Amino acid sequence: MFELNKTLTYQSLMLLKGEIEDFIATVGNIGVIFVEVVKRIFSFKINFKETIEQSKRFAFDSLPISLTIVGMTSAIIAMQLAPELAKQGGADYTGTLSALVMVRELATIMSGFAIISMVGSSFASELASMAVTEQINAMTVLKVDYISYLIVPRFLAGVVFMPCVFILSAVFGLICAGYVSNWCADLSLLNYYTSLWHGLYLRDIFIALLKASFFGGTIALISCVHGCFTHGGAKEVGLATTKAVVWSFLGIAVWDFIFASFFYL
Amino acid sequence: MSLKIKNLSKMFDDKYVLNDISLEVQNGETLGVIGFSGSGKSTLLKIISGILEADSGEIIYPKDSEVAMAFQYSALFDFLNVFDNIAFPIVERKELRKKYTKSELEKIVKEKLKMVGLEGIEEKYPSELSGGMQKRVGFARAIVTNPNIILYDEPTAGLDPVTSTMIEDYIVQLKKELNASCIVVTHQLSTIRRAVDRVIMLYQGKMVFQGSVQELLRGTDEYSRQFVSASITGPMNIIGT
Repeated sequence: MFELNKTLTYQSLMLLKGEIEDFIATVGNIGVIFVEVVKRIFSFKINFKETIEQSKRFAFDSLPISLTIVGMTSAIIAMQLAPELAKQGGADYTGTLSALVMVRELATIMSGFAIISMVGSSFASELASMAVTEQINAMTVLKVDYISYLIVPRFLAGVVFMPCVFILSAVFGLICAGYVSNWCADLSLLNYYTSLWHGLYLRDIFIALLKASFFGGTIALISCVHGCFTHGGAKEVGLATTKAVVWSFLGIAVWDFIFASFFYL
Repeated sequence: MSLKIKNLSKMFDDKYVLNDISLEVQNGETLGVIGFSGSGKSTLLKIISGILEADSGEIIYPKDSEVAMAFQYSALFDFLNVFDNIAFPIVERKELRKKYTKSELEKIVKEKLKMVGLEGIEEKYPSELSGGMQKRVGFARAIVTNPNIILYDEPTAGLDPVTSTMIEDYIVQLKKELNASCIVVTHQLSTIRRAVDRVIMLYQGKMVFQGSVQELLRGTDEYSRQFVSASITGPMNIIGT
Protein backbone atom coordinates (compact mmCIF):
# COMPACT_ATOMS: atom_id res chain seq x y z
CA MET A 1 0.00 0.00 0.00
CA PHE A 2 2.84 2.34 0.96
CA GLU A 3 4.63 1.55 -2.29
CA LEU A 4 1.42 2.19 -4.25
CA ASN A 5 0.91 5.56 -2.55
CA LYS A 6 4.51 6.43 -3.21
CA THR A 7 4.09 5.53 -6.84
CA LEU A 8 0.84 7.48 -7.17
CA THR A 9 2.34 10.53 -5.45
CA TYR A 10 5.40 10.30 -7.64
CA GLN A 11 3.27 9.94 -10.77
CA SER A 12 1.06 12.90 -9.77
CA LEU A 13 4.12 15.05 -9.14
CA MET A 14 5.64 14.02 -12.45
CA LEU A 15 2.36 14.83 -14.19
CA LEU A 16 2.27 18.24 -12.53
CA LYS A 17 5.90 18.83 -13.47
CA GLY A 18 5.10 17.93 -17.07
CA GLU A 19 2.12 20.32 -17.13
CA ILE A 20 4.21 23.17 -15.67
CA GLU A 21 7.00 22.53 -18.20
CA ASP A 22 4.43 22.44 -21.00
CA PHE A 23 2.91 25.75 -19.79
CA ILE A 24 6.31 27.46 -19.62
CA ALA A 25 7.30 26.10 -23.05
CA THR A 26 4.04 27.36 -24.59
CA VAL A 27 4.41 30.83 -23.06
CA GLY A 28 8.03 30.86 -24.29
CA ASN A 29 7.02 29.82 -27.81
CA ILE A 30 4.29 32.47 -27.95
CA GLY A 31 6.77 35.13 -26.80
CA VAL A 32 9.47 34.08 -29.27
CA ILE A 33 7.07 33.89 -32.23
CA PHE A 34 5.51 37.25 -31.29
CA VAL A 35 8.96 38.89 -31.39
CA GLU A 36 9.70 37.22 -34.76
CA VAL A 37 6.33 38.35 -36.16
CA VAL A 38 6.89 41.96 -35.03
CA LYS A 39 10.41 41.94 -36.54
CA ARG A 40 9.01 40.81 -39.89
CA ILE A 41 6.22 43.36 -39.84
CA PHE A 42 8.67 46.19 -39.16
CA SER A 43 11.08 44.97 -41.81
CA PHE A 44 8.06 44.79 -44.16
CA LYS A 45 8.40 41.04 -44.84
CA ILE A 46 4.68 40.68 -45.42
CA ASN A 47 3.03 38.31 -47.88
CA PHE A 48 0.17 40.53 -49.10
CA LYS A 49 -1.61 37.82 -51.09
CA GLU A 50 -1.82 35.57 -48.03
CA THR A 51 -2.72 38.50 -45.77
CA ILE A 52 -5.72 39.36 -47.98
CA GLU A 53 -6.72 35.68 -48.08
CA GLN A 54 -6.55 35.31 -44.29
CA SER A 55 -8.29 38.67 -43.74
CA LYS A 56 -11.26 37.52 -45.82
CA ARG A 57 -11.36 34.39 -43.73
CA PHE A 58 -11.07 36.28 -40.45
CA ALA A 59 -13.73 38.83 -41.31
CA PHE A 60 -16.30 36.81 -43.24
CA ASP A 61 -16.10 33.39 -41.55
CA SER A 62 -16.67 34.74 -38.09
CA LEU A 63 -19.14 37.53 -38.89
CA PRO A 64 -22.41 35.51 -39.04
CA ILE A 65 -21.72 33.69 -35.76
CA SER A 66 -20.45 36.88 -34.10
CA LEU A 67 -23.55 38.85 -35.16
CA THR A 68 -25.78 36.03 -33.91
CA ILE A 69 -24.05 35.67 -30.52
CA VAL A 70 -23.79 39.42 -29.85
CA GLY A 71 -27.31 40.06 -31.17
CA MET A 72 -28.81 37.31 -29.01
CA THR A 73 -26.88 38.34 -25.90
CA SER A 74 -27.88 41.98 -26.18
CA ALA A 75 -31.49 41.00 -26.88
CA ILE A 76 -31.54 38.79 -23.76
CA ILE A 77 -30.01 41.54 -21.62
CA ALA A 78 -32.52 44.10 -22.94
CA MET A 79 -35.34 41.60 -22.34
CA GLN A 80 -34.42 41.41 -18.65
CA LEU A 81 -33.22 44.96 -18.16
CA ALA A 82 -35.90 47.05 -19.93
CA PRO A 83 -39.01 45.79 -18.02
CA GLU A 84 -37.17 46.07 -14.69
CA LEU A 85 -36.02 49.63 -15.45
CA ALA A 86 -39.55 50.50 -16.63
CA LYS A 87 -40.95 49.27 -13.28
CA GLN A 88 -38.49 51.53 -11.43
CA GLY A 89 -39.32 54.42 -13.72
CA GLY A 90 -35.96 54.36 -15.45
CA ALA A 91 -36.89 52.87 -18.86
CA ASP A 92 -35.16 55.79 -20.52
CA TYR A 93 -31.85 54.48 -19.24
CA THR A 94 -32.12 51.20 -21.18
CA GLY A 95 -30.21 52.57 -24.16
CA THR A 96 -27.49 54.13 -22.00
CA LEU A 97 -26.93 50.94 -20.06
CA SER A 98 -26.99 48.81 -23.21
CA ALA A 99 -24.41 51.05 -24.84
CA LEU A 100 -22.13 50.94 -21.80
CA VAL A 101 -22.38 47.16 -21.42
CA MET A 102 -22.08 46.36 -25.12
CA VAL A 103 -19.29 48.75 -26.06
CA ARG A 104 -17.19 48.41 -22.94
CA GLU A 105 -17.48 44.67 -22.49
CA LEU A 106 -19.92 42.31 -24.14
CA ALA A 107 -19.48 42.97 -27.84
CA THR A 108 -15.70 42.55 -27.71
CA ILE A 109 -15.68 39.45 -25.53
CA MET A 110 -18.58 37.79 -27.38
CA SER A 111 -17.12 38.45 -30.83
CA GLY A 112 -13.81 37.20 -29.41
CA PHE A 113 -15.50 33.91 -28.46
CA ALA A 114 -17.07 33.68 -31.92
CA ILE A 115 -13.70 34.27 -33.59
CA ILE A 116 -11.95 31.71 -31.38
CA SER A 117 -14.51 29.05 -32.26
CA MET A 118 -14.70 29.83 -35.97
CA VAL A 119 -11.28 31.10 -36.97
CA GLY A 120 -8.80 30.34 -34.16
CA SER A 121 -9.68 26.66 -34.07
CA SER A 122 -9.46 26.48 -37.85
CA PHE A 123 -6.03 28.20 -37.87
CA ALA A 124 -4.73 25.79 -35.22
CA SER A 125 -6.01 22.60 -36.85
CA GLU A 126 -4.87 23.66 -40.33
CA LEU A 127 -1.34 24.53 -39.20
CA ALA A 128 -1.12 21.47 -36.92
CA SER A 129 -2.07 19.28 -39.84
CA MET A 130 0.60 20.99 -41.96
CA ALA A 131 3.15 20.47 -39.18
CA VAL A 132 2.52 16.73 -38.73
CA THR A 133 2.62 16.12 -42.48
CA GLU A 134 5.97 17.98 -42.66
CA GLN A 135 4.60 20.76 -44.89
CA ILE A 136 6.10 23.37 -42.55
CA ASN A 137 9.45 21.52 -42.63
CA ALA A 138 9.19 21.50 -46.43
CA MET A 139 8.84 25.31 -46.39
CA THR A 140 11.99 25.58 -44.28
CA VAL A 141 13.95 23.37 -46.69
CA LEU A 142 12.62 25.36 -49.66
CA LYS A 143 13.98 28.46 -47.88
CA VAL A 144 10.55 30.03 -47.53
CA ASP A 145 10.14 31.64 -44.12
CA TYR A 146 7.08 29.94 -42.60
CA ILE A 147 6.59 32.74 -40.07
CA SER A 148 6.26 35.30 -42.88
CA TYR A 149 4.11 33.01 -45.00
CA LEU A 150 1.83 31.44 -42.39
CA ILE A 151 1.84 33.43 -39.16
CA VAL A 152 2.32 37.11 -40.09
CA PRO A 153 -0.73 37.18 -42.45
CA ARG A 154 -2.96 35.55 -39.83
CA PHE A 155 -1.68 37.86 -37.09
CA LEU A 156 -2.28 40.97 -39.23
CA ALA A 157 -5.73 39.72 -40.22
CA GLY A 158 -6.55 39.34 -36.52
CA VAL A 159 -5.21 42.75 -35.51
CA VAL A 160 -6.99 44.60 -38.33
CA PHE A 161 -10.24 42.69 -38.75
CA MET A 162 -11.24 41.81 -35.20
CA PRO A 163 -12.11 45.52 -34.57
CA CYS A 164 -14.25 45.47 -37.74
CA VAL A 165 -16.11 42.36 -36.57
CA PHE A 166 -16.52 43.99 -33.14
CA ILE A 167 -17.94 47.25 -34.50
CA LEU A 168 -20.47 45.50 -36.76
CA SER A 169 -21.48 43.11 -33.96
CA ALA A 170 -21.84 45.96 -31.45
CA VAL A 171 -24.03 48.01 -33.83
CA PHE A 172 -26.16 44.95 -34.59
CA GLY A 173 -26.41 44.11 -30.86
CA LEU A 174 -27.55 47.63 -29.97
CA ILE A 175 -30.18 47.58 -32.73
CA CYS A 176 -31.44 44.20 -31.45
CA ALA A 177 -31.57 45.57 -27.88
CA GLY A 178 -33.60 48.57 -29.14
CA TYR A 179 -36.25 46.40 -30.80
CA VAL A 180 -36.47 44.05 -27.79
CA SER A 181 -36.85 47.02 -25.39
CA ASN A 182 -39.60 48.35 -27.61
CA TRP A 183 -41.30 44.95 -27.58
CA CYS A 184 -40.87 44.10 -23.87
CA ALA A 185 -41.15 47.50 -22.18
CA ASP A 186 -42.96 49.63 -24.77
CA LEU A 187 -39.92 51.87 -24.97
CA SER A 188 -40.10 53.92 -28.16
CA LEU A 189 -37.18 53.49 -30.53
CA LEU A 190 -36.62 57.25 -30.53
CA ASN A 191 -36.29 57.26 -26.73
CA TYR A 192 -34.01 54.21 -26.87
CA TYR A 193 -31.65 55.76 -29.41
CA THR A 194 -31.62 59.10 -27.59
CA SER A 195 -30.75 57.28 -24.37
CA LEU A 196 -28.19 55.12 -26.19
CA TRP A 197 -26.47 58.23 -27.49
CA HIS A 198 -25.89 59.39 -23.89
CA GLY A 199 -24.11 56.12 -23.09
CA LEU A 200 -21.80 56.23 -26.09
CA TYR A 201 -18.43 57.77 -25.30
CA LEU A 202 -15.74 58.22 -27.92
CA ARG A 203 -13.16 57.13 -25.35
CA ASP A 204 -15.03 53.84 -24.76
CA ILE A 205 -15.22 53.18 -28.49
CA PHE A 206 -11.49 53.76 -28.96
CA ILE A 207 -10.64 51.56 -25.98
CA ALA A 208 -12.95 48.82 -27.30
CA LEU A 209 -11.39 49.01 -30.78
CA LEU A 210 -7.92 48.78 -29.29
CA LYS A 211 -9.01 45.87 -27.09
CA ALA A 212 -10.56 44.09 -30.09
CA SER A 213 -7.31 44.54 -31.97
CA PHE A 214 -5.37 42.99 -29.06
CA PHE A 215 -7.89 40.14 -28.88
CA GLY A 216 -7.57 39.47 -32.63
CA GLY A 217 -3.78 39.42 -32.54
CA THR A 218 -3.76 37.22 -29.44
CA ILE A 219 -6.21 34.69 -30.89
CA ALA A 220 -4.29 34.48 -34.18
CA LEU A 221 -0.89 34.22 -32.50
CA ILE A 222 -1.92 31.58 -29.94
CA SER A 223 -3.70 29.49 -32.58
CA CYS A 224 -0.76 29.67 -34.98
CA VAL A 225 1.81 28.79 -32.30
CA HIS A 226 -0.21 25.78 -31.10
CA GLY A 227 -0.63 24.65 -34.71
CA CYS A 228 2.96 25.12 -35.88
CA PHE A 229 4.54 23.42 -32.85
CA THR A 230 2.49 20.22 -33.14
CA HIS A 231 4.31 16.90 -33.38
CA GLY A 232 2.77 13.48 -33.87
CA GLY A 233 -0.43 12.54 -35.64
CA ALA A 234 -4.21 12.95 -35.71
CA LYS A 235 -4.55 12.85 -31.91
CA GLU A 236 -2.03 15.66 -31.49
CA VAL A 237 -3.81 17.76 -34.15
CA GLY A 238 -7.01 17.47 -32.07
CA LEU A 239 -5.14 18.29 -28.86
CA ALA A 240 -3.45 21.30 -30.45
CA THR A 241 -6.83 22.64 -31.57
CA THR A 242 -8.33 22.18 -28.09
CA LYS A 243 -5.31 23.82 -26.47
CA ALA A 244 -5.45 26.73 -28.93
CA VAL A 245 -9.11 27.34 -28.04
CA VAL A 246 -8.50 27.11 -24.27
CA TRP A 247 -5.39 29.31 -24.39
CA SER A 248 -7.19 31.86 -26.58
CA PHE A 249 -10.07 32.09 -24.07
CA LEU A 250 -7.50 32.52 -21.33
CA GLY A 251 -5.59 35.09 -23.39
CA ILE A 252 -8.57 37.33 -24.07
CA ALA A 253 -9.75 37.04 -20.44
CA VAL A 254 -6.33 38.24 -19.26
CA TRP A 255 -6.31 41.14 -21.77
CA ASP A 256 -9.86 42.06 -20.75
CA PHE A 257 -8.80 42.25 -17.11
CA ILE A 258 -5.71 44.32 -17.99
CA PHE A 259 -7.77 46.75 -20.11
CA ALA A 260 -10.48 47.11 -17.43
CA SER A 261 -7.86 47.71 -14.72
CA PHE A 262 -5.87 50.14 -16.81
CA PHE A 263 -8.67 52.26 -18.30
CA TYR A 264 -11.60 51.99 -15.86
CA LEU A 265 -10.15 51.47 -12.39
CA MET B 1 33.15 20.56 -54.28
CA SER B 2 31.63 18.17 -51.79
CA LEU B 3 29.35 18.13 -48.80
CA LYS B 4 31.38 17.56 -45.63
CA ILE B 5 30.03 16.65 -42.21
CA LYS B 6 32.41 16.78 -39.28
CA ASN B 7 31.81 15.31 -35.81
CA LEU B 8 28.06 15.92 -35.87
CA SER B 9 26.17 15.16 -32.66
CA LYS B 10 22.56 15.64 -31.62
CA MET B 11 20.79 14.68 -28.41
CA PHE B 12 17.09 14.34 -27.59
CA ASP B 13 16.12 13.95 -23.92
CA ASP B 14 19.71 13.28 -22.80
CA LYS B 15 20.08 10.49 -25.38
CA TYR B 16 22.38 10.67 -28.38
CA VAL B 17 20.45 10.40 -31.65
CA LEU B 18 23.61 11.20 -33.60
CA ASN B 19 26.98 10.69 -31.99
CA ASP B 20 30.11 12.12 -33.62
CA ILE B 21 29.17 11.47 -37.25
CA SER B 22 31.66 12.48 -39.94
CA LEU B 23 31.20 11.86 -43.65
CA GLU B 24 31.72 13.37 -47.08
CA VAL B 25 29.58 13.18 -50.20
CA GLN B 26 31.16 14.10 -53.53
CA ASN B 27 29.41 15.85 -56.40
CA GLY B 28 27.57 13.33 -58.53
CA GLU B 29 27.68 10.73 -55.75
CA THR B 30 24.74 9.12 -53.95
CA LEU B 31 25.27 8.07 -50.36
CA GLY B 32 22.82 5.59 -48.91
CA VAL B 33 22.07 5.85 -45.18
CA ILE B 34 20.64 2.69 -43.67
CA GLY B 35 19.82 1.52 -40.18
CA PHE B 36 16.92 0.48 -38.01
CA SER B 37 14.08 2.82 -37.11
CA GLY B 38 15.24 5.38 -34.55
CA SER B 39 18.89 5.07 -35.48
CA GLY B 40 19.17 8.76 -36.39
CA LYS B 41 18.88 8.61 -40.19
CA SER B 42 16.05 11.12 -40.57
CA THR B 43 17.61 13.37 -37.91
CA LEU B 44 20.78 13.46 -40.02
CA LEU B 45 18.76 14.62 -43.06
CA LYS B 46 16.88 17.18 -40.98
CA ILE B 47 20.16 18.68 -39.75
CA ILE B 48 21.69 18.81 -43.24
CA SER B 49 18.51 20.41 -44.63
CA GLY B 50 18.38 23.04 -41.87
CA ILE B 51 15.18 21.85 -40.20
CA LEU B 52 17.08 20.95 -37.01
CA GLU B 53 20.25 22.35 -35.49
CA ALA B 54 23.08 20.09 -34.40
CA ASP B 55 24.29 20.25 -30.80
CA SER B 56 27.89 20.09 -31.96
CA GLY B 57 29.88 19.47 -35.10
CA GLU B 58 30.04 21.18 -38.43
CA ILE B 59 28.51 20.91 -41.89
CA ILE B 60 30.51 22.40 -44.75
CA TYR B 61 28.33 23.01 -47.77
CA PRO B 62 29.77 23.60 -51.25
CA LYS B 63 29.87 27.25 -52.35
CA ASP B 64 26.44 28.63 -53.42
CA SER B 65 24.82 25.39 -52.43
CA GLU B 66 21.11 24.80 -52.71
CA VAL B 67 19.75 21.96 -50.58
CA ALA B 68 16.57 20.14 -51.57
CA MET B 69 14.72 17.40 -49.77
CA ALA B 70 12.17 14.84 -50.94
CA PHE B 71 10.10 13.91 -47.90
CA GLN B 72 8.92 10.44 -46.95
CA TYR B 73 5.25 11.39 -47.34
CA SER B 74 5.96 13.97 -50.05
CA ALA B 75 4.92 16.93 -47.82
CA LEU B 76 3.12 18.59 -50.72
CA PHE B 77 1.10 21.66 -49.78
CA ASP B 78 -2.44 20.32 -49.81
CA PHE B 79 -3.95 23.80 -50.33
CA LEU B 80 -2.05 24.30 -53.60
CA ASN B 81 -2.37 22.47 -56.92
CA VAL B 82 0.58 20.65 -58.53
CA PHE B 83 1.68 23.71 -60.53
CA ASP B 84 1.66 26.00 -57.49
CA ASN B 85 3.41 23.35 -55.37
CA ILE B 86 6.30 23.08 -57.82
CA ALA B 87 6.46 26.82 -58.48
CA PHE B 88 6.23 27.59 -54.73
CA PRO B 89 9.95 28.19 -53.95
CA ILE B 90 10.35 30.40 -57.03
CA VAL B 91 7.18 32.38 -56.39
CA GLU B 92 7.83 32.86 -52.68
CA ARG B 93 11.56 33.61 -52.79
CA LYS B 94 12.19 37.19 -53.83
CA GLU B 95 15.63 36.54 -55.33
CA LEU B 96 14.23 33.77 -57.57
CA ARG B 97 10.93 35.48 -58.43
CA LYS B 98 12.79 38.40 -60.01
CA LYS B 99 14.66 36.08 -62.38
CA TYR B 100 11.69 34.58 -64.22
CA THR B 101 8.68 35.81 -66.15
CA LYS B 102 5.33 34.05 -65.81
CA SER B 103 5.79 32.13 -69.09
CA GLU B 104 9.33 31.11 -68.09
CA LEU B 105 7.99 29.83 -64.77
CA GLU B 106 5.34 27.78 -66.58
CA LYS B 107 8.06 26.35 -68.82
CA ILE B 108 10.24 25.42 -65.82
CA VAL B 109 7.38 23.69 -63.99
CA LYS B 110 6.46 21.69 -67.12
CA GLU B 111 10.10 20.76 -67.67
CA LYS B 112 10.55 19.53 -64.07
CA LEU B 113 7.32 17.55 -64.25
CA LYS B 114 8.55 15.96 -67.48
CA MET B 115 11.84 15.05 -65.76
CA VAL B 116 9.90 12.93 -63.28
CA GLY B 117 7.67 11.45 -65.95
CA LEU B 118 4.54 13.45 -65.29
CA GLU B 119 2.69 15.72 -67.68
CA GLY B 120 -0.70 17.43 -67.79
CA ILE B 121 -1.41 17.21 -64.05
CA GLU B 122 -0.65 20.84 -63.20
CA GLU B 123 -4.21 21.63 -62.19
CA LYS B 124 -4.66 18.59 -59.94
CA TYR B 125 -4.44 18.79 -56.15
CA PRO B 126 -2.19 16.40 -54.14
CA SER B 127 -5.22 14.52 -52.78
CA GLU B 128 -6.15 13.56 -56.36
CA LEU B 129 -2.78 11.85 -56.98
CA SER B 130 -1.54 8.33 -56.18
CA GLY B 131 1.29 7.82 -53.65
CA GLY B 132 3.86 7.31 -56.42
CA MET B 133 2.72 10.43 -58.28
CA GLN B 134 2.86 12.47 -55.07
CA LYS B 135 6.45 11.31 -54.53
CA ARG B 136 7.38 12.36 -58.05
CA VAL B 137 5.69 15.75 -57.68
CA GLY B 138 7.67 16.08 -54.44
CA PHE B 139 10.85 15.36 -56.45
CA ALA B 140 9.86 17.93 -59.07
CA ARG B 141 9.32 20.56 -56.36
CA ALA B 142 12.66 19.66 -54.76
CA ILE B 143 14.61 20.08 -58.02
CA VAL B 144 12.86 23.22 -59.29
CA THR B 145 15.66 25.40 -57.88
CA ASN B 146 18.35 23.19 -59.47
CA PRO B 147 19.85 22.05 -56.16
CA ASN B 148 23.36 20.65 -55.84
CA ILE B 149 22.49 18.67 -52.70
CA ILE B 150 19.42 16.42 -52.78
CA LEU B 151 18.20 14.54 -49.72
CA TYR B 152 15.71 11.69 -50.03
CA ASP B 153 13.90 10.45 -46.91
CA GLU B 154 12.74 6.89 -47.56
CA PRO B 155 11.79 7.60 -51.18
CA THR B 156 10.40 4.13 -51.91
CA ALA B 157 8.73 3.34 -48.58
CA GLY B 158 5.16 2.14 -48.98
CA LEU B 159 5.31 1.89 -52.78
CA ASP B 160 4.75 -1.17 -54.96
CA PRO B 161 7.90 -2.77 -56.47
CA VAL B 162 7.35 -1.38 -59.97
CA THR B 163 6.78 2.20 -58.76
CA SER B 164 9.79 1.77 -56.45
CA THR B 165 11.97 0.84 -59.42
CA MET B 166 10.68 3.87 -61.31
CA ILE B 167 11.48 6.15 -58.34
CA GLU B 168 14.97 4.62 -58.01
CA ASP B 169 15.62 5.30 -61.70
CA TYR B 170 14.55 8.92 -61.25
CA ILE B 171 16.96 9.29 -58.31
CA VAL B 172 19.81 8.14 -60.57
CA GLN B 173 18.63 10.29 -63.48
CA LEU B 174 18.23 13.47 -61.39
CA LYS B 175 21.67 13.03 -59.85
CA LYS B 176 23.21 12.79 -63.32
CA GLU B 177 21.26 15.72 -64.79
CA LEU B 178 21.97 18.04 -61.85
CA ASN B 179 25.41 16.62 -60.93
CA ALA B 180 24.24 16.79 -57.33
CA SER B 181 25.47 15.23 -54.09
CA CYS B 182 22.63 12.97 -52.97
CA ILE B 183 21.86 11.29 -49.67
CA VAL B 184 19.19 8.59 -49.63
CA VAL B 185 17.79 7.32 -46.35
CA THR B 186 16.24 3.94 -47.00
CA HIS B 187 15.38 0.53 -45.61
CA GLN B 188 15.02 -1.07 -49.04
CA LEU B 189 17.85 -3.19 -50.39
CA SER B 190 16.47 -2.72 -53.92
CA THR B 191 16.95 1.06 -53.58
CA ILE B 192 20.50 0.52 -52.30
CA ARG B 193 21.29 -1.77 -55.23
CA ARG B 194 19.84 0.47 -57.94
CA ALA B 195 20.29 4.05 -56.77
CA VAL B 196 23.21 4.24 -54.33
CA ASP B 197 27.00 4.42 -54.84
CA ARG B 198 28.19 4.11 -51.24
CA VAL B 199 26.52 3.17 -47.96
CA ILE B 200 26.79 4.06 -44.30
CA MET B 201 24.89 2.33 -41.51
CA LEU B 202 23.79 4.05 -38.32
CA TYR B 203 23.01 2.28 -35.09
CA GLN B 204 22.09 4.14 -31.90
CA GLY B 205 23.38 7.35 -33.43
CA LYS B 206 26.80 5.95 -34.35
CA MET B 207 28.17 5.04 -37.73
CA VAL B 208 28.80 1.30 -37.53
CA PHE B 209 29.48 0.59 -41.20
CA GLN B 210 30.66 2.42 -44.25
CA GLY B 211 31.60 0.95 -47.56
CA SER B 212 30.52 0.22 -51.08
CA VAL B 213 27.18 -1.35 -51.98
CA GLN B 214 29.03 -4.56 -52.88
CA GLU B 215 30.72 -4.66 -49.46
CA LEU B 216 27.36 -4.21 -47.75
CA LEU B 217 25.69 -6.91 -49.81
CA ARG B 218 28.61 -9.31 -49.28
CA GLY B 219 28.28 -8.76 -45.54
CA THR B 220 31.92 -7.96 -44.85
CA ASP B 221 31.28 -7.28 -41.17
CA GLU B 222 28.78 -8.39 -38.55
CA TYR B 223 26.62 -5.22 -38.83
CA SER B 224 26.18 -5.40 -42.59
CA ARG B 225 25.63 -9.19 -42.36
CA GLN B 226 22.82 -8.71 -39.85
CA PHE B 227 21.18 -5.94 -41.91
CA VAL B 228 21.38 -7.75 -45.24
CA SER B 229 20.22 -11.08 -43.80
CA ALA B 230 17.45 -9.25 -41.86
CA SER B 231 18.44 -11.26 -38.81
CA ILE B 232 17.09 -10.46 -35.36
CA THR B 233 20.30 -11.77 -33.78
CA GLY B 234 23.58 -9.93 -34.11
CA PRO B 235 25.37 -6.89 -32.72
CA MET B 236 22.30 -4.69 -33.25
CA ASN B 237 19.55 -5.18 -30.71
CA ILE B 238 16.27 -4.29 -32.41
CA ILE B 239 14.07 -4.69 -29.31
CA GLY B 240 12.91 -1.30 -28.13
CA THR B 241 14.35 0.59 -31.11
